[in-house]
Amino acid sequence: MKRNMYYLAIVMAVAAGLAFSAPVGAGETYQLGLSLAITGPTSDAGNPYSKGVEDYMRFANDTKILGDAKIDCPIRDDMYKTAVTKRNFEDFLDQGMIFFLSYATGANQALAPDFTEVQIPVVPASMDSSLMKASPYIFLPIASYSHQYVGVAEYVAANHKGEGAAKVAAFIHPSAFGRAPLADFKAAVAAGLNLELVEVVEHGKDLDNSALLQRLASKGVQYVLCHTVQSPVATLLNDAQRLGMTAKTFGEPGKITFMGAHYTGGNDLIALAGTAAEGFHWTTSYRVTSEKGPWTDWQLDMAKKYGRDDKTANSHNYASGMMAAQIAVEAIRRTREAGKKVTKETLYETLNQMNGDKAFTSLAAVGPVTYSVTDRMGVDNVQLYVVKDGVFRAVGEPFKPKYMK
Amino acid sequence: MSANRFFATGNFFTDYRQEQRIFRTHLDRGLFVVFLACLFAWPLFFDASNRTMLVINNILIAVVAVYGLNLVTGFAGLISIGHAAFVGVGAYTVAGLARAIGASHPLIVHWWPLMILAAGGMGAVFGAFVGLPAMRLKHLYLAIATLSFQMIFTWTIQFMPTFNQGQMIPVGRVAWIGGTVGRKDHYFFWYYVILVVAVVCGLAVRNLLRSRYGRCLVAVRDNDRAADAMGMHPGLTKVYAFTLAGFFAGVAGALHTYMFRGAGFESFTLHHSITYLAMAIVGGLGTLPGSLLGPAAIYTLELEMERLSEWSGAFLPDSLNLATALRPLGFGLVIVLFLMFEPRGMANWWRICRSYVKLWPFRY
Amino acid sequence: MTYFLQLVISGIVVGSIYALSALGFVLVYKSSRVLNIAHGQIIAGGAFIVYALTVFAGLPIYISFVASMVITFFLAMSVERIFLRRLIGEPIISVIMVTIGLMSILNGVIYLTPFGSLNYSFPEFLPTTPISLGGVSISWTQMVGVVITALLIGAFSWFFKRSTIGISMRAVSDDQFAAMSVGISVPRVFGLAWAMAGLSAAAAGTIIGNITGLNFETLGAFGITVFPVVILGGLDSIIGAVVAGIIMGLIQQFAAGYLDGNWGLNGTADVLPYIILLVILLFKPHGLFGTHEIERV
Repeated sequence: MKRNMYYLAIVMAVAAGLAFSAPVGAGETYQLGLSLAITGPTSDAGNPYSKGVEDYMRFANDTKILGDAKIDCPIRDDMYKTAVTKRNFEDFLDQGMIFFLSYATGANQALAPDFTEVQIPVVPASMDSSLMKASPYIFLPIASYSHQYVGVAEYVAANHKGEGAAKVAAFIHPSAFGRAPLADFKAAVAAGLNLELVEVVEHGKDLDNSALLQRLASKGVQYVLCHTVQSPVATLLNDAQRLGMTAKTFGEPGKITFMGAHYTGGNDLIALAGTAAEGFHWTTSYRVTSEKGPWTDWQLDMAKKYGRDDKTANSHNYASGMMAAQIAVEAIRRTREAGKKVTKETLYETLNQMNGDKAFTSLAAVGPVTYSVTDRMGVDNVQLYVVKDGVFRAVGEPFKPKYMK
Repeated sequence: MSANRFFATGNFFTDYRQEQRIFRTHLDRGLFVVFLACLFAWPLFFDASNRTMLVINNILIAVVAVYGLNLVTGFAGLISIGHAAFVGVGAYTVAGLARAIGASHPLIVHWWPLMILAAGGMGAVFGAFVGLPAMRLKHLYLAIATLSFQMIFTWTIQFMPTFNQGQMIPVGRVAWIGGTVGRKDHYFFWYYVILVVAVVCGLAVRNLLRSRYGRCLVAVRDNDRAADAMGMHPGLTKVYAFTLAGFFAGVAGALHTYMFRGAGFESFTLHHSITYLAMAIVGGLGTLPGSLLGPAAIYTLELEMERLSEWSGAFLPDSLNLATALRPLGFGLVIVLFLMFEPRGMANWWRICRSYVKLWPFRY
Repeated sequence: MTYFLQLVISGIVVGSIYALSALGFVLVYKSSRVLNIAHGQIIAGGAFIVYALTVFAGLPIYISFVASMVITFFLAMSVERIFLRRLIGEPIISVIMVTIGLMSILNGVIYLTPFGSLNYSFPEFLPTTPISLGGVSISWTQMVGVVITALLIGAFSWFFKRSTIGISMRAVSDDQFAAMSVGISVPRVFGLAWAMAGLSAAAAGTIIGNITGLNFETLGAFGITVFPVVILGGLDSIIGAVVAGIIMGLIQQFAAGYLDGNWGLNGTADVLPYIILLVILLFKPHGLFGTHEIERV
C-alpha cells in the first residue's frame, strides 16, 4: 500500500513537471481559438484543416513572424455540434481570445449574433455567402460557394459547343449547405447566363444512381453541377462510369460532364472515386499540390517538417487551414506594425483595411485576400481544375465570376 | 423504533399515506431544501465564467428533457429513440413563430414564459400523435416508430422554407424587469429560469408518481395485460406517457432556443436522441434522481474526456490520431464499463447510499 | 419502360445490399434479443480491414476479403465475450445502451487508424464495363454484391434449418430456459450469433465500400440506414430481412425516380422508407415476418 503511494507521488510529480515546463514570460501571447469537427460528420475535411492551422501557428511561433510575441491557438473538437461550438467559443472568450477560427455553416449562423455583440473577427471554414450577412464580423477567406458554383457554370456557358443553351442539372446536398448557391445560380441564369437548368436533384444516401442518370440523359442534360460532399459525388461518378455516360472530354455530346464546387472535389474525391473521377471539373480558390508551384512546395515542406502523412499534406483542406491561420497571423502582424495594441477591435480594423495596396497575398490561394467594410469575402478569384490521370490539373487562369457581384 | 424520525433506523410506515409522501423522511426534506438553497445561491457568491454557466444551463435543460424521457422509457417502459425530435418541436415552436412575426416581437421577448408553455403544449400534441402507434406496437418495433418520427422531423425541418430549411433561426433577447437581458447577464439569467423550470417540473413528476396516473404508468410497464385486467387502459396510458414526455421535451426545447438565441436542426438529430437515452440510462431508468444525475454525469464525462485528450495531445506524437481518438474511446469505455458493473444506473448508488445511512448502524 | 425496369433492377440490387447489412442485426437479435446499434461500425471496420490487407499488406483482394470476414468473425465474438456476456439477464435497455457505448469505443478505435478521417477506395478488381441487357444495366460490383448476398443468406438459412448448432440457436431464440435445460450452452450460442453477424458485416462493408468509396461517416451511418429494413422484415426473420431489404430498395429507387423533382419534392428517398414503415407497422405490428410474441400475464 505504502509503495503504491510512492508511485502515485512520483507520477504526480512528473505530471506537474510536464504541466509547468512550458516557457513563461516570453513576450506577449495572443490568444486565438479554433473549434471544428475533428471527429463526427465532415471530419474528413475538418481533420486536415485542423492540422493546417496547428502547423502554421507552430511555424509562426518557431520562425518568430511576430517577433518575441507568441500565438496560443487551442484547437477543440466540436464533433459538428452547435452546442459544443458555443461552449468552446465561450471558453475561448473567457481565456481572452481576440480572433476566432470557426468551422461549420450551422454553428457560424448560430453564433453570428454573439460575434456581433462581442465584436470579434471570425474566419470560418464554411464559405456560405449568407454568413457575411449574418454578422459583419465574419470574414470568408476565399470565394463563397456561390462564386465557385457560378464560376463553374460560366465555364460551361462559355465553352459549350452545340446548339442552344447548355442543359444542366444541379446535384446538391439535401440541406441548407447544398442549397446555398442555388439562388445566386438562378439569379445568374435570369441575368443572362446562357444555361438551361433542367432539374435540381437533392440526393439521398443512394447506393445506385442509374435511374437518376438515365433520367437526366433522357432530358438531354449534358452537365451536372454538384454542390455537396465528396462521397455522394463519388457514387454518382462510379455509376456514370459503369453506364458509360461520363464524358471523356469536356462537353462530349450525348455524355455527361460532371462538375462541382469546393467540397465536392479535392484529393478526397479521387481517393473515393478512383478512375471514375477522370474529367471531373472543380472550382476552388486554393492551389492544389498536383500543380507544382512555390506554394505547394512550401506546403509539402511544412507537412514533412511537422510529420504529416501524405494524404494530409496533399489535401486542399490542409492548405485551407493554413490560409485561415495566415490571415489571423497577418492581421496580428499588421496591427503590431502599425503600433497599435492588438485587441479584437484593432484586428477588426486591420482586416477591414486589407484592400487596395494593403491586400494580403497568400500564395495558398489564386488571388489576393481583400477585405473592406462592404466586402468581407477574401479571395475573389476562382480556379478551375480538371482531373487528368488521377490528379487535378489547372484549366486556364484564375478568374472572377462575371455574374456575381 | 426511535420516536424521532430523524434518527429512525429503517422504514416504519404504518399506513400508505406515509409511504406516498413527497419526502419520505425529515432528513430527505432537509437535504432537499439545503440542496435547493445551494443551487439558487451559489452563483451569487462565485463569479462563474460564461462557459461554466453555459455547461450548467445545458445540463439543466437536459434534465428537463430527460424527465420526459424517463417518464416514457423509464416508468412506462416504452423505448423512445426520437426524444431529440420532441425537443426540436418545442424549439421550433418558438423559432418558427419568431421567423413568422419577427425575432424581437413582443410575444417572443416579453411573453416568453407563455412561449415556453406553448412549446410544451406543442410538444405534448406531437407526443400524443407519435404515441398513437404505441396502442399496437411494442418493444423495439415501437422504438423504431419513434425513430421514424425523428427522421421525418429532421427531413421536414430541412425541407420547409418556413423553418429556414434547417438553418439557424435567430430569436431576440428577452425582456425582464429592468430592460432587456444583455449578453453579460444572459447565462446568469437563464440559469435561474431553467433552474426554476427544472425544479417545478421535478416536483411535478414526483407528484405525478404519487398519483394513480403515475402508478398506472408503472403498472403498464411491468405488465400491460395485468394492468388491463385491473381496469386500466394500457393504450391510453401509453399515449399519455408520450404526451407527457412530449411536454417536458417541448419545454426543454423552448429553453434551448432562448438560451442559444435561436434554433438550427443540428441540435435535434438522432445523435442527440441517443445521447438523451444515454443520460436516462446512466442516471438510472425509472428513478427521479436518475434524471438529475444522468445529464450531469454525461456532460461531465464529456468535458473530462475533452480535457484528457487535450492534455494528452501535448506530448503524444502528432502522427498518431491518439488524442482525437481518446475522447470517443474513453467516453464509450466509461459507459460500457459502468453499465457492465452497474446496469441500474447511478440512481442505484444513490439508493445504496441512502439505505446505508438509513439503516446505520445495521447493515446487510 | 426501360426507365421503370432500371428502377426495378437498381431497387433489387440496392435492396439486397440492405438485406445483407440487415442480416447482422437479425442474427444478433434472433438469438440474444439485443439490438446492436454498433453494427454500422463493424460494417465499416470490415471494409477497412479488407482495404488494409489488400493495399498495406499487399494480399490479393479475394484473400483479404475472406480474411476480413474471419477477423470480424472473431472480433465480434470477442466483443460479445468481453462486453455483453456479463449483461445476460439484465434489462434489455441497458444492453442496448452498452451497444451505444460500444459504438463510441469502435469509433475511437477507428479514429486511431488513418481510416477515421481520410478517404480511400478499393483498387479496381472487377471490369468497369457494365452488364447491359436491353437498356438496363448493372455494374459488376453490384452483381458480385448480389451474388455474395444470395450465397450468404442461403448459407445462413441452411445453417439454421439443418445444422445442429443452427437448430440449437433457434431453440435458444425460442426459449432460453428450455434450451438450457436440454443442455444447450446459451452463452456459446450468443457468441456464435455475434460472430456470424460480424462475418456478414464484413461482407456488407466491402460491397458498400466498393460502391461509395471508403468514408467512415458514410459506412458507419449505414447501420442506422438499415433500421427500417430490419424492423419491416420483423426483427428475427432472415427471410424477412431479404424481402424488406428489396422492398425498401424499390421504394427508395421509385421515390428518387418518380417523386423527386416533381411537385417541389426532393430527397424523399431518405424519408419515405420511414413513412411506409410506420404505415405497415400499423397493420403488422411485428413487421412482415416477425414472430408474434404470445404474452401472458
